[in-house]
Amino acid sequence: MTPRLFLTAVSLQARKLMSYRVAFWATAIIAFAAELVVAVFLWRAIFEASGEESIGGFTYGGMLLYYVCALLTAKLVYGRERDLSVSEDIYQGHLTRYLIYPVSYGVFKYAEHLGSMVPSLVQVLLFAGAAGFILPLPSDLGITPATVAMALVSILVAGLFVFALRFTVQLVSFWADNVWSLNVMLRFSMEFLGGLMLPLSLFPEVVRQVLAATPFPYIFYVPVTTLLGRVSVAEWLRGLVVTSAWIVVVVLVARWVWARGNRVYSGVGI
Amino acid sequence: MLRYLRLYLYFLRFSLSKAMEFRLDFFFRIVMDVVFYIVHLAFFTVIYRHTDLLGGWTLDQIYLFVAGTMLTDALHMTLFANNLWWLPVYINRGDLDYYLVRPVSPLFLLSLREFAANSFVNLLIAAGAVVWAVWRYPEPLGAARVVLFLVLLGFGVMVYYLLRMLFIIPVFWLHSGRGLDEIAWSLNRLSEQPHQIYHPWLRVVMLTILPIALLVSVPSHALFGGDALLRLVHVVTVTACLFGFVVWFWRVGLRAYASASS
Repeated sequence: MTPRLFLTAVSLQARKLMSYRVAFWATAIIAFAAELVVAVFLWRAIFEASGEESIGGFTYGGMLLYYVCALLTAKLVYGRERDLSVSEDIYQGHLTRYLIYPVSYGVFKYAEHLGSMVPSLVQVLLFAGAAGFILPLPSDLGITPATVAMALVSILVAGLFVFALRFTVQLVSFWADNVWSLNVMLRFSMEFLGGLMLPLSLFPEVVRQVLAATPFPYIFYVPVTTLLGRVSVAEWLRGLVVTSAWIVVVVLVARWVWARGNRVYSGVGI
Repeated sequence: MLRYLRLYLYFLRFSLSKAMEFRLDFFFRIVMDVVFYIVHLAFFTVIYRHTDLLGGWTLDQIYLFVAGTMLTDALHMTLFANNLWWLPVYINRGDLDYYLVRPVSPLFLLSLREFAANSFVNLLIAAGAVVWAVWRYPEPLGAARVVLFLVLLGFGVMVYYLLRMLFIIPVFWLHSGRGLDEIAWSLNRLSEQPHQIYHPWLRVVMLTILPIALLVSVPSHALFGGDALLRLVHVVTVTACLFGFVVWFWRVGLRAYASASS
């Protein structure tokens, strides 16, 4: 796939998503506000009840900042989940047209995934600004241009990993009648074990050690703590290497599943 | 009434045979809900490593709340979720004609036609979680309180269904469910915590105008004390008002419906 074609696919997807502007902004604002309301009141209740100044290495303001960053990171890492549509392509027979294109189906879908991240990036910038004004965030944020750059790289790599994982799961559609539940299951697991629902520093030590051997912490927790300046350059590099290794593993599995799935695929009536 | 009951038994039979045709999906959905339950329990277990109370509730009380959430979710998934998933599509495509010409209430038909057999298995698991949470509770709760809890959870399922309908009916005018569904899910996030943690004015909203606290939080609260009769009256009144409003809203929506042939 040529870089020009790749960029065209990215651009088309970004424009497609922006065509439903009211729904796009209304859902994004309400979802973000609802998550923040829950985080604000939940953590206020926990800090008040415990009487602690710091929990899991976070003050109340620091915890809210973590949630803001985690929610915005999730927007970038996920893109628009429902627009991946691999299972729809398989069920509806739309896959047939991609099979005769002179491009890789997976690369094309990744271009669309990146395209879906573009509108999210606009939202992230606006929401980050709004949250800075509204919430009682700590004065020593720990965010510097260097940590922002490092976090962006981590987010891009995490996004690629999550895309590869979701793509592979959706390929199960070659055999299963519905993979929606597999997607939801994957999402629950990633959000809990990846640090979106809670910072992983709150987990028991033994659980954290087990999680360190998995790719989950590198989806949300590591990118967010990198942004907050809590990760050294060496740890950050290690995270990138580990995530990249997992990407290679998942892509190999995806290729294997794709090859087998193609053998059973039939685009009847197309 | 008896006719509707007989009709529902037919729905059950058809849904069960349909579920057996898609066995892999049947299995996936069971596992998905089990993962949801585990994550929900683990979330609060981790939080209680750092505090003894949340909204005035102990870990034992929160486990009852979580078990209640599981039961409400499983009942909703079993009875309504599949039907409500397709409703915006039917409205948008003009497929409602098929249901409107039947000699039964279209709302009944569209809301209950598909019984999710796979979620029924999860309903058994969720019921087990409630039994476990009641059994491990350090003090005797009393049979009357447990019955009240279950009755109020039943109303909670009804409120959940009615709230989801509130976000589906506007499809008659908007011609797309895009966005509305996500907004409903987002607002539902607030019901996954005890309502006592929220600001008093937000609590009032959650108890009346947008009664998401009635799903699980209020039933759980009734289990631990307070005026049981007052809570029952409150829940029944709000549910009845919401039911009346949704039925009226549905009829108004139907007037705006343009069928496939029109």
